[in-house]
Amino acid sequence: MEEKLTREEVLHVANLARIEIDEEELAMYQVKLKQILNEIEKINEVTSYDEGMLICPTENKCKLREDTAGEMLEPREALKNAPRSSGNYFSVPVVIGETGEASA
Amino acid sequence: MRQVHNYLDLSLIEINKLFKEKKITPTDLVLEAFDRVEKNKELNSFITLNKEEALKQAKELEQKEVDSLTFGIPIAIKDNIVTKDLRTTAASKMLENFNPIYDADVIKKIKDANMIIIGKTNMDEFAMGSSNRTSYFGLVKNPWDKNRVPGGSSGGSAAAVSSRIVPLAIGSDTGGSIRQPASFCGVVGLKPTYGRVSRYGLIAFASSLDQIGPMTRNVYENALLLNTICGKSSNDLTSVETNEDFTRLIGKDISNMKIAIPNYYVNDAIDKEIINKLNEVVELLKKKNCTIDYVDINYIDKAVPLYQIIAMGEASSNLARYDGIRYGYSYETPENIEDLYLKSRKIGFGPEVKRRIMIGSYLLSGKNAKEYYDKALKIRDDLRRNFLATFEKYDLIIGPTNTTTAYELDKGLDDAIKSFLDDILTIPVNMAGLPGMSVPIGFSDSKLPIGLQIIGKPFDEAKMYQLASFIEKELNLDLNPNGGEKND
Repeated sequence: MEEKLTREEVLHVANLARIEIDEEELAMYQVKLKQILNEIEKINEVTSYDEGMLICPTENKCKLREDTAGEMLEPREALKNAPRSSGNYFSVPVVIGETGEASA
Repeated sequence: MRQVHNYLDLSLIEINKLFKEKKITPTDLVLEAFDRVEKNKELNSFITLNKEEALKQAKELEQKEVDSLTFGIPIAIKDNIVTKDLRTTAASKMLENFNPIYDADVIKKIKDANMIIIGKTNMDEFAMGSSNRTSYFGLVKNPWDKNRVPGGSSGGSAAAVSSRIVPLAIGSDTGGSIRQPASFCGVVGLKPTYGRVSRYGLIAFASSLDQIGPMTRNVYENALLLNTICGKSSNDLTSVETNEDFTRLIGKDISNMKIAIPNYYVNDAIDKEIINKLNEVVELLKKKNCTIDYVDINYIDKAVPLYQIIAMGEASSNLARYDGIRYGYSYETPENIEDLYLKSRKIGFGPEVKRRIMIGSYLLSGKNAKEYYDKALKIRDDLRRNFLATFEKYDLIIGPTNTTTAYELDKGLDDAIKSFLDDILTIPVNMAGLPGMSVPIGFSDSKLPIGLQIIGKPFDEAKMYQLASFIEKELNLDLNPNGGEKND
């Protein structure tokens, strides 16, 4: 039998990724994600390694920028690619419902 | 009708001479580039053209002094690098109508150097793929054989340079996306050392692996373009100041260089034809008294699973910004804000991008983060140290760029694992943050280009160009897919 993830596992991941999936995609991801995970398991063949982690291959040290005024965007520019806007704001569907509860 | 001169087949040095003698103008080159775009339409190498602006800029340059070899030269830009007021899509429906409000650092440098942007090149969606078939704007064809892929993800840039539409192009490389298409299309492509080029304005895929780099017809022009685009930026913390001329070692004697070939880079998965070409290069180098040793680099064979964990994890985080609110595709009639996120991302992203976000989200969730991600970062650290230890004994590492030559356009795209195996020889370089380049070393029996990969220690690009230029000169290949025939 083909190895696969459970429906619940896939739905959980889709929710984390904020991607809506249909039944067909769900079935596809059950198999495909499992294939990739089996491939990834190969790192468990490595049993001896140092504890140091390489998050990013740079020698540069993290530092704060000088607190000086620089170029700023005009609100008009910042909103130029917004699908919906209103005045100087991005416009979104109602978040707080009539009951005062968050809708999502 | 305008006479066609094929100035774009000349070297930058020859073009520069004609500019200085006032025999041609930048407008001549721009018009010729657009003629060639039209003639090569079938390749589909561009998503957006910049004709009006390019002609305007060319006209303005006529009043300026010719001050460098890149002055007035047409250039193509991969469509994941933002260009102010010039549509930038990352080959995704998500950004189909996105008009950036600023220029990436590399674009500012290119404009300051008076190069002329011809257009934005096709690519795999969000640079996720290695055959240019995941683009929302359709696949790109290989100029050497139009039934084959150009490689990816910088397939449009590789095809545009290979077909001689432009002498110069910019690509980006996260796991091989400059080197692999360079190899498939017979051009020179360099992924610089991590930090050499500012990533500010590069649409992020995997931030600890991404680098922008030059794709060109030859080694010298590649080094020239790197001269222009490198350097520190206050907008990219990982970028590094450099004050060097990357052409300075080109043509210098390579005698006694010490070169390593990882045993993994001559494994059974690699086409025999490619190994044979590599061996021919080895013979050339031995004649120059170079030391060639076959070496083991521990964990180099684990780079693909490391990539799947690290690149997918970073991608899932980077692509979280596409929420349908600030820019990008937005679902028209959402029930509520959650529905807006879910449907905008379902419709805006293509299948490969969604698959990678899903994998990344899974690997970073709950206990998986420790089990997979942390462990991957530890092995990655060891892999980099193993590379650096090799560079204590050797000047450069060489091997093939790819396991195969360009494959047919209809070869299965569905196999989730195989899509990563294209990159087994290029991914280790990104993992360790090293510079790597692909330089053409010949053709297969069916006349498809084969690339040699040259890997250097951090910030040693000049030495890589030195070796590459030696090989280029010795082999003296005809790398124009249109053959000796004139473009007309």
